[in-house]
Amino acid sequence: MIERFCDWLANTRVSQIFSSADWFVPAVQTVHILAMSIVVTLLAMLNFRILRTKITDPEPATLAANYVPVIWISLIVLLVTGALLTVTEPARELLNKVFRVKMVLVIALIGSTAILRARLQRDPHYWINSARRRIMGKALAVTILVLCIAIVAAGRLIAYA
Amino acid sequence: MTGIEIAEALERTPVAVAIAKSIWLFPLIETLHVLALILVVGSVAILDVRLLGLGNMHRPLNELMRSVLPWTWSSFVVAAICGTLLFSSKASTYYVNVPFRIKFLCLGLAAVNMIAFHSWSRDLPNLGPMPMRARIAGAVSLLLWLAVVGTGRWIGFTT
Repeated sequence: MIERFCDWLANTRVSQIFSSADWFVPAVQTVHILAMSIVVTLLAMLNFRILRTKITDPEPATLAANYVPVIWISLIVLLVTGALLTVTEPARELLNKVFRVKMVLVIALIGSTAILRARLQRDPHYWINSARRRIMGKALAVTILVLCIAIVAAGRLIAYA
Repeated sequence: MTGIEIAEALERTPVAVAIAKSIWLFPLIETLHVLALILVVGSVAILDVRLLGLGNMHRPLNELMRSVLPWTWSSFVVAAICGTLLFSSKASTYYVNVPFRIKFLCLGLAAVNMIAFHSWSRDLPNLGPMPMRARIAGAVSLLLWLAVVGTGRWIGFTT
């Protein structure tokens, strides 16, 4: 089923135009990596602040208010460039197990970040209001950081799988 | 000793041979290299965007630099170590590769731009828009790091 879809997609006019241009994949991958740089760096700075390793930085709620909208825009860029790469080389992506793992991790990252941000929007001190929430906040921050590392690793390992 | 002879000698070192022979060492080091480079580019971009007046305008420049630069430098050290290890495994191939050479040229220019910026950055205002020379430094830095990522990706398609 998925193999037939890949064959159909690879034979579309759009896919053939993209794949016939030698510069297309490296150029789109470059934009993909740049968008990934923004997402991972901003999430790293925000979540290390929640882990209180950089207490001189602004409050997590302030950082989240500034960073999360930029993260969402960058995620849209990642989605568009990722879709372009998939259309160009459908079998390389859709039949690849590492790619599927990456997509699950991306969904988990979006969900975790949305939860983190929503709680901070409602109450800027949400993640420090009680000992239980401090632990939950730190657990969520560690989860987001691990997801970022795993997504970057999966993205690179697609080429080797 | 010529450049290519040094590259070939580097390729014969035990570490380089181990990376070249291993199935998982090259992908592992490459993943670390990409992760570190992502943090370098992302942290540099945060500062450059502030210099250009396109974002982070509410944050004083010195406070933003104190927050961002430790990320830049620590990630750069990791990226450089991993990059050297990756280079050693196929040194003679990379040595003659044009995108690799352009990447290094861009890295050198980015370093010169950064050193120049830090030599006069103390005179900059902490709040509000930056003077033209700071904006130029930010724009040049962004373009050079974009080129580093682009040529880095291009290497993978030409080796």
